[in-house]
Amino acid sequence: MSKKNKALSVVQPYIWLLPSVLLMVTMIVVPIISVFKISFSEVGRSGLIKGFNGIENYVEVFKQPAFWTTLRNTFVWTIAVVGLSTVIGFILAMVLNQEFFGRKIVRAVVIFPWATALVIQSVIWKYIVNADYGSLNVLLKKLGIIDSFVNWTGTAQSMFAWECWVGIFVTFPFVTFCVLSGLQGIDAALYESAAVDGAGFWSKLFKITLPLVRPSLTVSTVLNIIYVFNSFPIVWTISKGAPADQTHTLVTYLYKLSFTEGKSGQAAAVSVIGFVILAILASIYMIMSLRGEGED
Amino acid sequence: MAAKRKGWQKVALYVFVIFLCIVILYPYFVMFITALKDKSEMYAIDLILPEVWRWSNFAEIWDAAPVLQYFINSMLIAGGATILAILCGIPAAYALSRMKFKGKGIFMGAVIMSQMFSPVVLLVGIYKMMVNISLNNSILGLILLNAAFNQAFAIWLLRGTFVSISPEMEQAAKIDGCGTVKALIKVLLPVAAPGIITTLIFVFINSWNEYTIALTLISTDAFKPITVGINVFYGFNFIQWQYLFATSLCATIPVVVLFLLIEKHLVAGLTSGGVKG
Repeated sequence: MSKKNKALSVVQPYIWLLPSVLLMVTMIVVPIISVFKISFSEVGRSGLIKGFNGIENYVEVFKQPAFWTTLRNTFVWTIAVVGLSTVIGFILAMVLNQEFFGRKIVRAVVIFPWATALVIQSVIWKYIVNADYGSLNVLLKKLGIIDSFVNWTGTAQSMFAWECWVGIFVTFPFVTFCVLSGLQGIDAALYESAAVDGAGFWSKLFKITLPLVRPSLTVSTVLNIIYVFNSFPIVWTISKGAPADQTHTLVTYLYKLSFTEGKSGQAAAVSVIGFVILAILASIYMIMSLRGEGED
Repeated sequence: MAAKRKGWQKVALYVFVIFLCIVILYPYFVMFITALKDKSEMYAIDLILPEVWRWSNFAEIWDAAPVLQYFINSMLIAGGATILAILCGIPAAYALSRMKFKGKGIFMGAVIMSQMFSPVVLLVGIYKMMVNISLNNSILGLILLNAAFNQAFAIWLLRGTFVSISPEMEQAAKIDGCGTVKALIKVLLPVAAPGIITTLIFVFINSWNEYTIALTLISTDAFKPITVGINVFYGFNFIQWQYLFATSLCATIPVVVLFLLIEKHLVAGLTSGGVKG
């Protein structure tokens, strides 16, 4: 009896994990393996794998100028969106941590962009910045700020800048709420005794606030790097990479390669390149923030 | 600090906050007023508010396209994914919070790592696999995928909830003759209800808002969720903005309300779930 119990208690935790493991292995791990395999295979337009072809797909990808534009865009996109969202989100969290009339309403309003489907948010912004009848032009003209309609998305750069703006718009609320939960855990007595010691706003910010909210900031930044890097609906809805493949990020580029051009092998190669970059980015950030924590 | 704050600082704070709210709400304002415009006013270039408030647009969307079908599909997909994610997530989170075993650290690491592989970078593989098992173009396929890609968050949030609850009551229940499963269901789950509801709603919202997988896998109108379905109003030459936004508004409001309900629990869970224990 006791022997049987012991054997059971050794196996038991794994039985509890089994449903979750099965779900994730079949739906996540199998596609991961498949993507790696496809990236080293010759694939017909119908999706049929014809056999191993080494690094052929990667070579083909590297040969295309559009890939290098896409790569540069992806870095600009990730750094701009995550960086600015973190700064804006942090400032807003500091503001929302103050007592003021209507704070609850502002908190509720900040939830909106976070809760809305990205594709819907993107469609609205596409309408807002439309050059011919977009509501931003109509509004600014009514207010007398512009004389004639502006073509907000006339160049690849301006198109991409708007996409970054939408990215920031939907990303900063997450930072705000993460930082806010960190701020609310800080003992007010710390600030009072710092004030007694003559600490000003900036020294309180750098000596007390930042070190104490660092864990929350780390969580939000790591998750945001991953989500923003992999974000598909904004760019796909607003520009689909146009004009001339100048506004793609890696994920929209691989989508186009695979599902409109039928080049699954190259698309899989782009996926693998994406994994590698993301893994490097995430680990650099983790190492930097762990090292920072060690210094305190 | 509050007592010492000077008058101008308060003014600056309100200016900032009001400006921010206007910017955030602007797209929702545009969505709302455009949804109420008449077709003929859509391209009028000097009209902010509609001349005639066409509330009937909200009634017409249901006939203009199979919008009701899209909503039902979204409910099935998000509801199914939520139930599956929780049914798999609770036992896993329980084992991680209450039991000691070999490979626990590795499993936790793998769960966090899985977040790096968002569905969109795996689409080529996902598409191939789903075609192989004939689950492309099916609601079941979307349920399985959404549940799987939300497992990490579900486990993360549930484990955080379970860890914050003392195991003493379950131990007492076991001494009284309850099995582990019974102790979990009768003792732990009721206490953990707020955390479980937060997780349920969060997974539901994520699945409801999901776009990329559905866009890739679903080709039949009968199985499209609302996020993909709204594209029917988005023709090549002719966009029916009023219907597009009326439908989008209907798809957005319930989700925002749900999100408002769980925001406090969710944020605490996200930032602390992994730190404790």
